[in-house]
Amino acid sequence: MKPHWMQACACLAMTVAAGCAFDVYHLKQLPATIESGRSVRDSFQLAKEQEVALDNSYKRTLRKGTKWTYVGTVQQGDVFRTADQILTVEASNVHEAYIDVSSDKLVGFYLPVEKAYSPLSEPVDLSIGAVVPGKNQ
Amino acid sequence: MNARFCFVVVAAFLLAGCATGPKYGEIAPSFGKLSPDKARIYVYRASALGAAVQPQVKLNGETIGTAVSQGFFYVDRAPGHYEMMTSTEVDRKLSLTLDKGQTRYVRLNISLGFFVGHVYPELVEPDVGQKEIQECSYIGQQK
Repeated sequence: MKPHWMQACACLAMTVAAGCAFDVYHLKQLPATIESGRSVRDSFQLAKEQEVALDNSYKRTLRKGTKWTYVGTVQQGDVFRTADQILTVEASNVHEAYIDVSSDKLVGFYLPVEKAYSPLSEPVDLSIGAVVPGKNQ
Repeated sequence: MNARFCFVVVAAFLLAGCATGPKYGEIAPSFGKLSPDKARIYVYRASALGAAVQPQVKLNGETIGTAVSQGFFYVDRAPGHYEMMTSTEVDRKLSLTLDKGQTRYVRLNISLGFFVGHVYPELVEPDVGQKEIQECSYIGQQK
């Protein structure tokens, strides 16, 4: 016969585990409205690769030479996307992301599906290379 | 003799949850051409790890297939915003966009869980997806 304390421990562990939320790492997401009609920003190419990570998120590398096309503007800056690499931000879930740039600094990510903005705790300098005058896509 | 028998039994047990059927290279030519106003998502699970864990794969709430080890399937969808989800003891989600004529690759990975492994979808680069899917078998999509 098993001691009662072992059964009690097993029950307690099951109860605790049953209530566990495995998705404990959430990205900070602020609702964001993207506006694309007013003015157009130039596309640009990254001159250097840039490593970046949101709080509670895995690191991502923006690759050297990737071309970023203006999508629109949110309150926090201008939003660009690229077709040259996959960009996602990841905590417990994975979100496709665009970059949000203000004064040549990466200030956060725009999540197009969630229509949300995830800020970086510290803006990151981007090494802007060739600038390509362009239209909204 | 006994060791060989044990090996066969263990191997059979491990492979029991893996996909069988035509490999990508054998069957892909028979897939219909992507309509210009649609996008295609290939969903595959390259690893044999945790083969017994086979959650359904949902796209915007609709079941589109099953996460079978070393298996793949594809769906064509209109451009737009999508959320792919797998559920084991937790839900794991991937949000992604689709553009006209685009082909995207989603790899189903497995990570440790409390009682069972967690299967989670990850968007991968097309060249990575094209390479890894070659060894996977077509399991068909959920009707």
